[in-house]
Amino acid sequence: MHGKPKVLIVDDEPDVLLTMRLILEAEGFDPALAADGETALRRIDDEQPDIVLLDIMMPVLDGWFVLAELAGRPRRPYVIVCSAKSGEVDKTRAFDLGADEYVTKPYEPDDLVRIIRDTLSRGARRPARL
Amino acid sequence: MGNATRTDIREQIQHEARVAGMRRLARPSIEAVERRRLQLWAITITVIAAMAAATVIASIAHANTVEFFRPSTLRYAIIGLAFGFSAYAIEKEVHLHRLSRLLMDERVLSSALSNRLQQHAELTSAGRAVNSILDLHEVLDVILSSALELLRVETGSVMLIEGEDDEADLIAVAARGDNDVVLGSRVGLGESIAGRVANSREPLLLAGKVDDELYPGHQERIMAPHSAMCVPLVNRGQLLGVLNVSSFGERSFDEHDLQLLCLLAEQVAAAITNARLYEAERVHVAQLLELDRTKTQFVASVSHELRTPLTSIRGALSASRRAITVDQRDELLDVIDRQTLRLAAMVEEMLTAARLERQGTMPILRRIDLAALVRLVALDSQVAGRPVEVQAPKRCEIRADPESMRRIVGNLIENAHKYGVAPVRVTVEPAGDKVLLSVLDKGAGVAAAEREKIFERFYRAERTATSRPGIGLGLPIVRGLVEAAGGSVWVEDAPSGGAAFRVALKVRPIDEQEVEPCTASLRS
Repeated sequence: MHGKPKVLIVDDEPDVLLTMRLILEAEGFDPALAADGETALRRIDDEQPDIVLLDIMMPVLDGWFVLAELAGRPRRPYVIVCSAKSGEVDKTRAFDLGADEYVTKPYEPDDLVRIIRDTLSRGARRPARL
Repeated sequence: MGNATRTDIREQIQHEARVAGMRRLARPSIEAVERRRLQLWAITITVIAAMAAATVIASIAHANTVEFFRPSTLRYAIIGLAFGFSAYAIEKEVHLHRLSRLLMDERVLSSALSNRLQQHAELTSAGRAVNSILDLHEVLDVILSSALELLRVETGSVMLIEGEDDEADLIAVAARGDNDVVLGSRVGLGESIAGRVANSREPLLLAGKVDDELYPGHQERIMAPHSAMCVPLVNRGQLLGVLNVSSFGERSFDEHDLQLLCLLAEQVAAAITNARLYEAERVHVAQLLELDRTKTQFVASVSHELRTPLTSIRGALSASRRAITVDQRDELLDVIDRQTLRLAAMVEEMLTAARLERQGTMPILRRIDLAALVRLVALDSQVAGRPVEVQAPKRCEIRADPESMRRIVGNLIENAHKYGVAPVRVTVEPAGDKVLLSVLDKGAGVAAAEREKIFERFYRAERTATSRPGIGLGLPIVRGLVEAAGGSVWVEDAPSGGAAFRVALKVRPIDEQEVEPCTASLRS
């Protein structure tokens, strides 16, 4: 991994995008934003982020669609699902679709930053993913 | 009574058997009595014949015998003996005849009693069968089978009451046999035979052709039954319907059959009531389960809606600790401000919904200018980034609770922006003693099947439940407030496409006379 790790924040809530962008920038990441699934898939293709913070309930294309779409790709970024959905069914579905972590909203931003770092360092030991 | 008569007959039989000389037999049979009678008559005839022969011989015999054996004396003696024996035989015959009749009576009585026992057993088993099922259709089927089996006929029907009071009719809900009532046929109370039985609640036994004058509305069938019965089905004083059975063969119903059918009808009525209670309970449970499901959905969507602003607030707090510039800090404070307002609005929405759920909340009515109020709410909406086009008269005064009206208009505009497509238009049209407030959008409209449901609490249309924010209380609140003000709200297709949410409000609710009507000059 060279330079700042790229993080794509996908959420339809502008304030979540705004605050997470500020936090991740301050923590030494290179954040990019997407407010719906369609934009997220486009930015993943264009910018190839290292990790995606993915909300589930979104207009146009939801997070499930994005996960399913990424599952079929040979090269894909790590995905941390950040959703207000807290049911076990949703978590199982996310992991089945290839999510690496599942964080329930409202999360503590510091915790999320730690999880992002852990996931990325874990990824360093598993180069096949990137 | 049957047993008393039977004991009485038994005592008489024992007495007659004793007198008739049959005491050796504990229970003489009719056949034994007949044999004894035959023997008696054979002996009597033999004895009389022998005596007649002896008399003749005595007459022919020599005359010079001792006085005592003189033919005439002998003849008288033999005749006397013959008379004596005849008297004995006649007396025995009388008793044997009586014994024979008593035995015949006892046999008839036994057979009748065993028939009755058989019927009673059948009635009990029919009652048990009818009451062991809870599904109404099955119950009706078993009822008919049991009644027909019990009475050994093949045609019958069950008619149940449908409708209230004056509108009530008897509907055939089960029928057997080719010549009887057609399934689904309808008879008014008091009409025809079934209607009359239902009205009088008295069982009816009919034989032969039905007198049309006696039963107005009666339709003669192609093949009239030979005999028929119709009994009311009454449970705890409530009339449920009637049970009909007809005989098209040789079988003629009698009073006893009618009594039997009445006994079955009592059990049948109880079974129908049970089945209906069960059905009502089943529906109630299904409704409760549905309510439970929608409440679970509601809790899920509320928690989601509460979590989202909380995420932003925590994010903003965490970010502000890392913020470098003053502008960044101000921006984060704005985030906190916006999201706390959003939380507060949601809490307020839930409280309003809970308040509206409690009955008897009276709105405070004031004279307000609806047109001005709509323009104000539209302006607020514009500021919040949701532009609205208003079409309303200069003034339109109504008596209403201003806070409720603001909420109604605000929620409808928000709803149109959230679920419809811009441009959103609000119109106020006075129409006689009413005012029609409409909020129109250019979206896909609301599917006919969902037009009522969207006003129900906790309901969110399937396609919007996952993609749009909201807790599904906006429209239920609108309906609650509109109805509290004595108006009505509904959704329909807008003339130019999209959805049209209409609110009809009375200009003068509850005896308000001093209000001036709306000035009817529309302004674009």
